[in-house]
Amino acid sequence: MGQLVVNGLALGSIYALVALGLLLIFNTVQIVNFAQGQLLMLGAFIGISGAVTHELPMALAWASTMLAMALIGIVFMVLVYFPLRGRPPFLVILTTIAMGIVLENIALIIWGPLPVSLPSPVRGPPLRFAGVVISMHQLFIFCTLAVILLLQYLMLTKTRFGILMQATAQDLHTARLVGIPVNRTIAVAFAFGAILSGIAGLLVAPIFLAEPTMGGSLGLKGFVVSVIGGFGNLPGAVIGGLFLGLIETFGARYISSNFRDAYAFIVMIAVLVAWPRGLFGEKSSEKV
Amino acid sequence: MTVKHWFPLALGVVVALLIPAVTHDNYVIQLLNIAILNAIVVLGLNFATGWVGQINFGQAAFYGLGAYTTGIAAKAGLPWITTPFLSVVIVMAASLVLGLPTLRLRTYYLAMTTIGFGEIVRLIIVHWEPVTGGTSGLRAIPGIGVFGIGPQGQVQHYYLLIAVLAIAALVAARIRQSSLGRAMIATKDSEIAAEQSGVDTTRTKLIAFMIGAVYAGLAGCLYASSIRFISPDSFSGTQAILLMTMLIVGGMGSIPGCIIGAVGLTILPEALRFLGQWYLVLYGLGVIAVIVLAPGGLASLASRLPRWAGAR
Repeated sequence: MGQLVVNGLALGSIYALVALGLLLIFNTVQIVNFAQGQLLMLGAFIGISGAVTHELPMALAWASTMLAMALIGIVFMVLVYFPLRGRPPFLVILTTIAMGIVLENIALIIWGPLPVSLPSPVRGPPLRFAGVVISMHQLFIFCTLAVILLLQYLMLTKTRFGILMQATAQDLHTARLVGIPVNRTIAVAFAFGAILSGIAGLLVAPIFLAEPTMGGSLGLKGFVVSVIGGFGNLPGAVIGGLFLGLIETFGARYISSNFRDAYAFIVMIAVLVAWPRGLFGEKSSEKV
Repeated sequence: MTVKHWFPLALGVVVALLIPAVTHDNYVIQLLNIAILNAIVVLGLNFATGWVGQINFGQAAFYGLGAYTTGIAAKAGLPWITTPFLSVVIVMAASLVLGLPTLRLRTYYLAMTTIGFGEIVRLIIVHWEPVTGGTSGLRAIPGIGVFGIGPQGQVQHYYLLIAVLAIAALVAARIRQSSLGRAMIATKDSEIAAEQSGVDTTRTKLIAFMIGAVYAGLAGCLYASSIRFISPDSFSGTQAILLMTMLIVGGMGSIPGCIIGAVGLTILPEALRFLGQWYLVLYGLGVIAVIVLAPGGLASLASRLPRWAGAR
């Protein structure tokens, strides 16, 4: 029982990270990126290329992955979001999905279809108390989520950049009129969003193996979390993520592991029927 | 309808009718049969997505529900004639269950719920093995037949499916011209303005969604009893995205566009098989290019040159 809680929270932390990446982009441009899972997959594979193929030290492999993800995030924005600014969000959903297909198949061409493993950046014997085993990697996941959550909270509320992001989200044209570098703000948001999903990929690869098709279901879990927590809601994303991780772990153990992926959607549909804007409310509402 | 409209239509019908005279390759005809079935499904998707503007990734699941209902019923020994009705009843029930609580949701939430619905249906098909055959699917499904009379061979199926597609397109065109069709367009343009003019937008959305599901259910029924083999892969989330791209590439809201998109994107992967994995890379980039450069799809490009072919 205690073990299931730990495993569920570790899984949920990764879902929360995917959702935090989505949130950064959503809070700036009001766009939901349906290729976030594929960005996560790229993060895992770039990390594997660095740490396993080129035998870089782990810290260097992580740093180079984050740098690469920032660049990929900006290229992604230029291809998928920029040409469609001001067009219905419906179309951007489709371009991000199409970009997800492109990224997945490029990964299949480069790295092949076989699953690969990435070692954890932390080593050491697992912690044990009261019959519950917490591996070093799980501990590392919890710490990473806590640090990122704190940094993101400070960035969004205390820094100049956070304010620029909010202004851009509220009204792009007015933001530009008052001299906010709108394009640069959006580019930074996409870069950070991609970095966060890259980190999630680096954290997932040591638990499950990395394969080019891993992005689809992890990306969807990120959206489910965003829906449960309310799009653009920071505490909602974290609580929603942990909640979903627990639901899946317990559902797989006590109901049926065949339907593991269905629990997320059943919970999401149930939440939406009762609260159409998520459990914790949405950051901003639709403009008339 | 003027000669400008009739000419491309007549041309399309003549070409479609002549294809089996040109090729006797059963593989080509079977591929075209699947393309026609996909066209019917995309015409259905066009009601909710093209005309009402509601995103829907559940269409492949309705297609699958129709196909599996027919497959299971026919294998259980029910006469073929009952299967279209059973399929329609099942998809209508499913579309009500999905549509009633969710159609008031906004874009992203609706996209996610329909993806989730498709995923749940797929998981049930995959794991309910004794009935659905699991991942290996259902084989040797009894063919179409009424009192022992039914199409034999791929070519006869082809003509039957062409006829069904023609009826499906005509019905869609009639609905578009009706007050219901105008309510759909009004809902898409502005829900608030439509409500102000007395359109019940929730009802309009639900009806469009259900008509689309019925199209998919009937196409699924014909798929099961003409291809006679079904597996979960044909009705997965990937297929739902593919159906959506057929609609976008062909031209949202345009009946010829739906048919062009469905037929084109069914045949293209087979024609470009030599590209291997690169096909999907180019496919993704191609979809982005169409959305960015030609928002009305291929149908709008055709109508931009000479002023025919786009019967919006």
